[in-house]
This record gives sequence, structure tokens and C-alpha cells, in this order.
Amino acid sequence: MLLRLVVWTILAFLVAPLIIIVLFSFHASASLSFPFTGFSLRWYQEIFGNTQLAGAVTKSLIIAFFTALITLVLGASASLGWLRLDRIGRAVIEAMSVTPIALPGLFVGVSLLVLFAQAGIRLSTLTIVISHVVIALPILIVAMKARLALFDPSLEEAARDLGASQRQTFARVTLPLIAPTLISSAILAFAVSFDEFVVTSFVAGTETTLPMYIWSMMRRTVTPMVNAISTLVLLFSVAILLGAWLIGRLRRQSAISARAEP
Amino acid sequence: MKAPTPIIEIRDGKKSFGSFVALENINLTIHEGEILTLLGPSGCGKTTLMRLIAGFEGLTSGTLRVSGEDVAAVPPERRPVNMVFQRYALFPHLDVFENVAFGLKVKGLAKSEITERVKRMLHIVQLESLANRYIDELSGGQCQRVALARALVNEPKVLLLDEPLAALDLKIRQHMLAEMKRIHAETGATFIYVTHDQDEAMILSDRVVLMEKGRIVQIDRPEDMYARPKSLFAAKFLGETNLFETAVADSGAQGTVAKTASGIGFLSRNGAGHKAGDKVVVSIRPESFSFANNDEGSSQKTQGQVEDVVFIGSRSFYTVRLDDQAKIRIQVQRNGRVKPPEPGSRATIYWDADNVVMLPQA
Repeated sequence: MLLRLVVWTILAFLVAPLIIIVLFSFHASASLSFPFTGFSLRWYQEIFGNTQLAGAVTKSLIIAFFTALITLVLGASASLGWLRLDRIGRAVIEAMSVTPIALPGLFVGVSLLVLFAQAGIRLSTLTIVISHVVIALPILIVAMKARLALFDPSLEEAARDLGASQRQTFARVTLPLIAPTLISSAILAFAVSFDEFVVTSFVAGTETTLPMYIWSMMRRTVTPMVNAISTLVLLFSVAILLGAWLIGRLRRQSAISARAEP
Repeated sequence: MKAPTPIIEIRDGKKSFGSFVALENINLTIHEGEILTLLGPSGCGKTTLMRLIAGFEGLTSGTLRVSGEDVAAVPPERRPVNMVFQRYALFPHLDVFENVAFGLKVKGLAKSEITERVKRMLHIVQLESLANRYIDELSGGQCQRVALARALVNEPKVLLLDEPLAALDLKIRQHMLAEMKRIHAETGATFIYVTHDQDEAMILSDRVVLMEKGRIVQIDRPEDMYARPKSLFAAKFLGETNLFETAVADSGAQGTVAKTASGIGFLSRNGAGHKAGDKVVVSIRPESFSFANNDEGSSQKTQGQVEDVVFIGSRSFYTVRLDDQAKIRIQVQRNGRVKPPEPGSRATIYWDADNVVMLPQA
């Protein structure tokens, strides 16, 4: 009974803010507190009239796209290497890729800022993308590692045995088998990049991403438009994560190992 | 029968992984069209030997020839050898047809030829109706056939089979053994079959290569290896046997005589090469003992007490305690004329000099 109470309390704490935000994004008045005075779509209409916001969204999408792309290429290479490593090699890569996840964003942000300053790289969209890759890559490697552990190396041997060159083996066997994992991991990287705030704020220079725009907007006045934007971002994030999950679960392709059950 | 053509020749083959020697002193000639079994307990090097032939590993020293050509520098995809993997290693993202077609596709054959050859092969393994199924929709036995078809469609000179029946249950296993013999006859390829199962080896092979600790212990036809093992290991690994510690008393034209410490004498016609005083182990199979003296003159005998009888349909297994307390197992074929002894009774046990094998002590 007590356990159930605790669980429900925790869930309530997690979900309540989301419900409030979604609810007030449809509020008819500018008030952000109860009593609720009626439904309206005015805040959503305001979003689509705001060019600054549109610019920030576009920027965030571009950054997320390139982050996902670069992370995908690097992650694919890393995971192919990982497949060929022994147990010790794998443990080392694992430790190295998990560590950045545990580091505070503040620390990563400051160190990247110092790095860019020392290297003489001007803060721009490029530095944001680089930073996002730094954040997303370890997450991607961890996500991919779990799936690749199931990859049966005898499949590659079988392909070679049947006459496929190394390149043909990669194109016809390895890549098709790991593609769903790669794509769902890339979508994850996209999602991570899209709403990254802490590190971005250090390395953005004069650029404005969507999370930064929302933050600056809230520093001026808090309008229900923030709720509307947040609701849309929430929907978008849930949608892409759902997409990633679905791709990862595709039948056939989820069977990355060839082990036949006796 | 025409003279056998060698297809695979290994001379002084040695393979080590770091300081671990997996294979040593491997000298083996495999003939075209035969079914050769690599038999041995796990860790004896049989799988390594197979992977060497496939090209996944290279010899540390020695030579490996396929059809007379040294293949040390030939990668697996360019060897006329195909393999059926232990767990089949079928491609999960392809259906049955595509799996079987894989080898032909990467070789760039014309589509019509691929279709025709795949169809013919699916017919041989009786899987035509499942051509569009995916691997996870097949049973173990069906996977096994797909794996066979995928390898054989390339018309390899040599087909390597790595414990292909290990993942199947007993009933399907026996069926697949018969299938394998049929497919062998139909394709005419050389089969190299790796197993730790002596029954599979006996049923299937023309010749058996028995391996232990990275070495070849004996190469023989299955019946010869069973009847005349050359080592204690071979005698114990293939089938059941009774062993007696003895010393050679005399060796002459009649044969070799060895005696246990308690004085039971064994005359053997398979003991040449042992001198008087040599310590040898005598091996006699349970079915080579008999309660009836049905051989003229050559029979030897001793006495003992029948302790236990296990009746298995057409045969019975007797446990007999000899007068020196040694226990032996005797297999008796059901026979209406001879009445076998009852448990608890005394019995005379006979055997023939032809069935006495003398082995050096391990």
C-alpha cells in the first residue's frame, strides 16, 4: 500500500508539470495560474506568426540534423570497430564512452568553450554541432553496444565463405543487419541535440537555438506561448523517440543474430 | 573402385594461438567424394582444423593444399570450399531463397541461372514450399537444410560441416543423417564432417579421423577403428569396452599371450609388436564375450559370478564379477537356442583371439 502510494506520488511529480504546461498552452487568457478560464488556440497562432522563433527552430533542426549525421558516421565506424574487438578492448571503449555521459554539462560546456578559444575557432553553428556530437556520441555508442553485442560474427564468416569479399560482406550482411540500430541511434542523437541547452549556451556565441530562445523569452515575460512551444517540442520529441523505438523493433531486422533455437 | 584422388592434403600442419598449441603433427589426405569425419572430444582441435581448411585461420607451419594448390594465401571467399556452420549462421534479413542465392549473387551470376540453381537445390533439400519464409519462421531441421542448400548450391569441391546436428533433437538428428547421406550421394561433393558424437561418425563416414589434444590419433574406416583401435584413447572413445591391465608373457606365431596379475591369460592375434615383459592393456568389446563356446579351438575362457542383467529388447547386458574381483560387461544377442545364465549363478565366459586387442599403456 505504502509502496503504491510512493510510486503514484513519484509519477505525479513527474507528470504533473507536463500536464499543467499542456493544459495552459490552451488557456484563453494570459494568466499562467488557476482558475482556468477557457480554451483557445491563440498561443499556437502566435507561434506561427513569430519569425524569430521560426529562425530558432530552423537553426535547431539544422544543428540536430548535422549532429545526427556526424554522430551516425562516427558511431557506425566505432561500432564496427567494436565488433572486432576482444573483451578487454570492448571494456576500454565502454568505459571511455560512458564517462562523458556522467560529466556535468557545465563542465563539458566550459571545457569545450576553452578548447574552441584556444584553437581559435569562432563560436558559430559549427561549434554547436561539434559540441552536440561530443554529447550525443557516447549516448549513441552505449545504445548501439547493447544491440551489437547480439551480432553473430559467424554471419560475416558465412558471407566470406560463400564468396563475398570484405566489401560485399559489409554491404550485403553487416550493414543491413546493423542499419536499424544505426538509424534508431541517429534519431536518438537528433533528439538529444534538439533540446540540448546547458552546453549549447556556452558555445553558441550569437547563435540562438530553440531551447535558448525559449529561455531568453522567459527571462523577459512569461507568456502562455512558452507553454505552447513546450507542448509542441514535447510532441515532437515523443514522436521521434517513438519512431526510433519502432525502427529498432522492426521484425526480421531486429533479429541481428542468426542463432536458431534448437 | 578407382584410385582415390586427393583433394585436400595437409603436411606437418601446426597451429598455435599465442603459446597454446591447437594442432600439431597434422598429416592428412582427404580423397575426392568421401565422407570424412573429424571426431574427438571438445577442445581436441577438430573445429580449428576445419576452420583452417575453410580459410578462417592460417597454419602456423606446414602446408595445406586443395586440389594440389597451396592455399596459404587464398582467402576463404576464393576457396572451392563451403561450410555449414554449427549454428547455421543463416542471414536473418533474407528469406530462404535469398539465403541460398547469396553465394551465386556475390559471384555475379545471371539472374535466370541463379533462380534455376537455387530452385534445384531447394528441391534437393525439399524446401521448395518454404522459399519465401524468413529464417525465424523455420524449425531447427529446416534451418539445417537451408544451411546445407546455401553451401551446396555453390557446387563446392569440399563441404565442411561443423557439428551440424548438435542443435537438433535426437529424432530429427537421425532423419538428417539419412538426408545427409542422400544429399552426399546426389551431389558427389567431398564431405568433411566435424563431430564429437561417435554414433554420427560411425553412421556417416567412409573414414574417421580420431583426434585428441590437437593431434590425429588414428585414421581408419569406422568398423576398423572400432574393431582394432590403436590406442587406449581410441578404444575408450569409440563404443564401450572392457580393459585389463596385463603383461606380455609370450609372443610367437600363434599370437601374443598376455596375463593379468591374477593369472587370466589372453591370446591375441592383434598383439604383434609387443615383446615379452611389456605392459599392455587388453581391450575386449562387450559383444566379443560369450557364455557359449561356439568357436572351434580358438576360444579362451575364464569363470565368474553373474551379478546383474539389463534386458534391452534384442540384447541383454550382463555384469560379471570375475574370480579376481574384476567386473566385466557382456552383451548377449537374444538367441532362442542358448539359455543365458541367471543372475547369481556361476558362468564360464568365452572369447576369441581375433577379438582381443592389445594396446600400449597410456
